[in-house]
Amino acid sequence: MSSTTDLKQGLTILHKGNPWLIAVAQFVNPGKGSAFTRAKLRQLKTGQVVEHTFKSGEAVELVDVVRNKCQYLYNDGETYNFMDNENYEQFGLDKELIGDAVKYLIENTECYAMYIDGIPVSIQVPPKMAFKVISAPPGYKGDTATGGSKDATIETGATIKVPLFISEGDIIMVNTAEGNYVSKG
Amino acid sequence: MNKITTRARSLIIQKIRDFFVQNDFLEVETPIMTPIPGMEPHLTPFETTLTPPAISQLSSATKIPMYLNTSPELQMKKLLGSPEGFDKIFNITKVFRNGEMDGPLHNTEFTMLEWYRKNADYKDLMNDCENLVTFLICKILPREANQSVNTQTTDNLTVNGQTQNYSILSQVTKSLSYQSSTINLATPWPRFTTNELFIKYCDLDLLENQDFATFKKTIDEKASSHTVPSSSASPFPFDSSGCATWDDLYFKIFLNYIEPELAKINQPIFIYDYPSSQAALAKRSADNTFFAERFELYIKGIELANAFSELTDSKEQRARLEEEQNLRKQLDKTVFPIDEEFLTALDKIATPTSGIALGLDRLIMLLLDKKSIEEVLLFPMNNLTSLANTLAQR
Repeated sequence: MSSTTDLKQGLTILHKGNPWLIAVAQFVNPGKGSAFTRAKLRQLKTGQVVEHTFKSGEAVELVDVVRNKCQYLYNDGETYNFMDNENYEQFGLDKELIGDAVKYLIENTECYAMYIDGIPVSIQVPPKMAFKVISAPPGYKGDTATGGSKDATIETGATIKVPLFISEGDIIMVNTAEGNYVSKG
Repeated sequence: MNKITTRARSLIIQKIRDFFVQNDFLEVETPIMTPIPGMEPHLTPFETTLTPPAISQLSSATKIPMYLNTSPELQMKKLLGSPEGFDKIFNITKVFRNGEMDGPLHNTEFTMLEWYRKNADYKDLMNDCENLVTFLICKILPREANQSVNTQTTDNLTVNGQTQNYSILSQVTKSLSYQSSTINLATPWPRFTTNELFIKYCDLDLLENQDFATFKKTIDEKASSHTVPSSSASPFPFDSSGCATWDDLYFKIFLNYIEPELAKINQPIFIYDYPSSQAALAKRSADNTFFAERFELYIKGIELANAFSELTDSKEQRARLEEEQNLRKQLDKTVFPIDEEFLTALDKIATPTSGIALGLDRLIMLLLDKKSIEEVLLFPMNNLTSLANTLAQR
């Protein structure tokens, strides 16, 4: 097992005995203080999502995670089924283990399967993904009660806040870690 | 940032000027580039070099280092100590902090609102903050704000094309809608000392943990018994790893177990009396010199302003600047000379004086219900990766 002092999005660390995937890592500089890193972490065995702030430069242990390309197939209620594109084996994961990524899955979505000690523990979707907007109410000029944005539904059924100029049928890029609109694709 | 937000931002800044002018403050401008920037050990100013003009007495090989201000604080205090007799001044200026651009609350270049007043202590500045925000709410946001803050503002902005005609909006709104929560703005806003917060949320008395070894021992004891503060957002127990100084321990606890609690409070709050190690330019508290008369204003967990009862004793100030020089050296950061003009000016300030720095972009974010700083900037520097790629292609 190796260690790092550089906490970055996408790393999996061993913290207090459990593997945690760093979903988001942000720099924090508290006033007159030295640098810290605020991370949003997902526990890979339970799906629990927490925030924790690390001292920048604090050594953390890295978990060896094997990542294979995989493809989302279908879900039967609470279980989401995938196929590993390297060994063609199928596996199922509980919805909780997939976390927010569940919002970005449609049939045949390509993502990464994460294995710890040979066991599939979770999947990761690409940091940015393109989706077709299937419904977006027309925006009214001057309507900024919603901060100049409106809700649009993408093809997975998830709702994303988008600028007023986005309409049905547009392709948009979504930041899957933050769950927000990036650009019109 | 769209045109509507641009107009709203412009209006807010205009009303801020109105507020200070009405309260007899004089607006001043200070340089953005300076030969001696602030000494805060953890801030990194942008560095550049001034080339002397060819006709100068100096050899053309002479390079004069210059820095972009991280705060106009030193210049503001030079004005207070000048024979011109400035006693109530404010400043809206750009400041720069290298390395700070990650996340929704930072842009490496941002706008700072600073104001200073003589014959006032830090608690007077708390009142100023309450009055300023209340003034802006009254002037800018309509009473219907709870339902549709921005719609109303927009209509007026668009229809009139004018910003001064806001008499119909003069009714006092005592709340602000921000990211689906309602912030109660009724004054006075709650005030907590740092130690009250450590005791309340972490059962830790800072006065019993005044040095690094003791503080670390206390935390490690809690860590070995897996103590997790009960109200905490983080499920992890106390942990001193990575911390090399007393302040590191303080912040690790504050950021994990206290700040998340503050974000749940739907009122602006003042946190005051900071450990003096975190207030190099502030006067020590009369009650207990372990603390200094500094406060921060938080709204929904967002740090909005930072204020001091100013330290005006130049001897003590020199000693603290020397400590900070040492700390910068240890941290392998550029060490700046001590600004003698600043120390001379301090000696000329004969009355108790207080000053405050407020992040203007963050205030605008809050007033306009925006989630991130880039939504209130016309030219945010938010995509470092794409910037780096563009430059690499040249």
